[in-house]
Amino acid sequence: MRVFAERLIAYETRGNESSGTKNPAAFPVCDKLRPHLATLMGNTGVRTLLSRALAQAEREVPSLRALRVKADGSLEHSGELEVQADPQELAKGSVVLVAQLLGLLVAFIGEKLALRIVCDAWPKLALNDLNLLERDRK
Amino acid sequence: MKNPNDAAKRKLSKKPASQPAKVTIHKIPSGVRGLDDILGGGIPEFSFNIIAGTPGCGKTTLAHQIVFANATVKKPALYFTVLGEPALKMLRYQQQYSFFDESRLGKAIRFVNLSDVVVEQDLHAVLEEIIKQVTAANPSVVVVDSFRTVVRKAMSGASELEMQSFIQRLAQFLTSWEATTFLVGEYVPEEMRDNPLFTVADGLFWLSQVTERNSVVRKLQIVKLRGTASVPGLHTIRISGAGLQAFSRTLGLVGNKTKPARRRRLSVGIPELDKMMGGGILEGDSLLVAGPSGTGKSALATQFIAEGLRRGESGIIAVFEERPHGYTDRAESFGLNLKSPQEKGRLEILYLRPLDLSVDETMQEILDAIEKIGAKRLVIDSLVGFEMALAPGFRADFRESLYRMIGALTGAGITVLSTVEVEDTFTAFSFSHYTISFLTDDIIRMRYAEIDGQLRKVMVVIKMRGGNHSKDIREYVITDKGVVVIHPRSTDYDGLTTGIPTRTGPRLAQAEESAPEPKAKK
Repeated sequence: MRVFAERLIAYETRGNESSGTKNPAAFPVCDKLRPHLATLMGNTGVRTLLSRALAQAEREVPSLRALRVKADGSLEHSGELEVQADPQELAKGSVVLVAQLLGLLVAFIGEKLALRIVCDAWPKLALNDLNLLERDRK
Repeated sequence: MKNPNDAAKRKLSKKPASQPAKVTIHKIPSGVRGLDDILGGGIPEFSFNIIAGTPGCGKTTLAHQIVFANATVKKPALYFTVLGEPALKMLRYQQQYSFFDESRLGKAIRFVNLSDVVVEQDLHAVLEEIIKQVTAANPSVVVVDSFRTVVRKAMSGASELEMQSFIQRLAQFLTSWEATTFLVGEYVPEEMRDNPLFTVADGLFWLSQVTERNSVVRKLQIVKLRGTASVPGLHTIRISGAGLQAFSRTLGLVGNKTKPARRRRLSVGIPELDKMMGGGILEGDSLLVAGPSGTGKSALATQFIAEGLRRGESGIIAVFEERPHGYTDRAESFGLNLKSPQEKGRLEILYLRPLDLSVDETMQEILDAIEKIGAKRLVIDSLVGFEMALAPGFRADFRESLYRMIGALTGAGITVLSTVEVEDTFTAFSFSHYTISFLTDDIIRMRYAEIDGQLRKVMVVIKMRGGNHSKDIREYVITDKGVVVIHPRSTDYDGLTTGIPTRTGPRLAQAEESAPEPKAKK
């Protein structure tokens, strides 16, 4: 799942590495997924799902505690994040968070439907190796 | 986009100008096996329908089947979810059904969550959101699940008039957009009287679960369906891996009757019994073989099927008591091979004993098997076991159901042999516990009789609707050849049918004899 999450993050943040954005790389990925998930689950549903993913990710990357899920299902962070976390940890946290979110989706609706949602969110992203999630799990 | 001329073309038929053309109401498939027959051909296009019932009846599954049966990329389906089952969970569970094709999600089938609008805003906003989505997607099918939650929330802040107005506007809008609509909701029958929704709706599909003793049976009623003649009454439904399946309560009573005008006589595989029956059983007849336990009813039934197979007629054995291998083993002990015909697809042994069956489901299974192998002969062994396999609620209607089932099967040209166990009382000579003898064309009664210090077996043909038959009471045995009629009519006894006959002829000198009935090999 992490390989897949890394790929999504890389795709979504391509060219932005030096743009000086202060948000973790998980933000744009989650933002891109949000409307597609909200169509299915409503904002409340997205918020709940992302909160669960965040709670799980925090166990592995404690600095993610600085993140918060807003009522509309979007992510925000306190300013402490950049001060406390080193860039590597921040990058890892993003991957873990996106992987947890995708993992929850797969657990609920299975790989096929989860990938369909990802495809809807990134229609131009080549997802020709649809067994990515499977391979990643091994 | 839909071509507006399409609708106009559909609505105009090519009738002479002097005769104003009636509108043609097209039907869309429900995607539920058996349901279109109940609906009179399908769901009327552009109708505004309610799928109602208590939790767990299969409302959402029904809605999904309709959606998957009709949605295309050009004419998609919009599935609005509200505060009931979240779409994520809905997808999780619904994908377990075989009709669920995930490749159609997104383009042909779109799920839209209305929860936030319902919770945070009013009825007007809900309607606006539906209008926005429908206008953008131009769907052929729209589902709101659960509409009950929309109404419940709205009623907390809106007047009844506002509610009525909302329903009216929603129905008008969706019909104008040529969408066939389904509002799914948990309702109880008492609500039908006062709820304006039920007045506005064109169709009302009522699903329920009927509990009787330990058995639960799902039922469907088409309470109303404008523009088409649906089959009234309660129909059984079953939910399996394929989704819902409906069994019309008139299953078998409608459709083509293919009983041939000139019917052959079919051998039952026992030459002497064929003679007693005037040459055999008439093709397309229903024969009831009644007798107490151990008199050879199943053996006779096995011979009937085996004889058919020998003559190139495929057969079906519906077993309710013993297991299928019991039948094949018994046949083997009579020198009859039932295994090869099974392997070659000429014989099907249906083992049906789930304890909550309906007669209609059984009939459907049998009809499917008949169609599959082109069967000409059918054995139902036994009616007592069949009754036991039914849910308690269906047992009360067993006689009526049998009437329908036997009528349907013989109407399709199948020759049916049913066995029924009756208890020998030695004072009476009953044919069955069900007073069903009128349902069958022919009856053979087997019974025990005490003769010369032995409990022997006798049989008699009670009736043959299609012609004359022997009135003789004949003794028979079960040997390694199966049921064999051994003696001609005995004139030395009176009262054989009581089981305790009186000798009227001279007692013959008898040697110390072994039992006249060698046991069949196990």
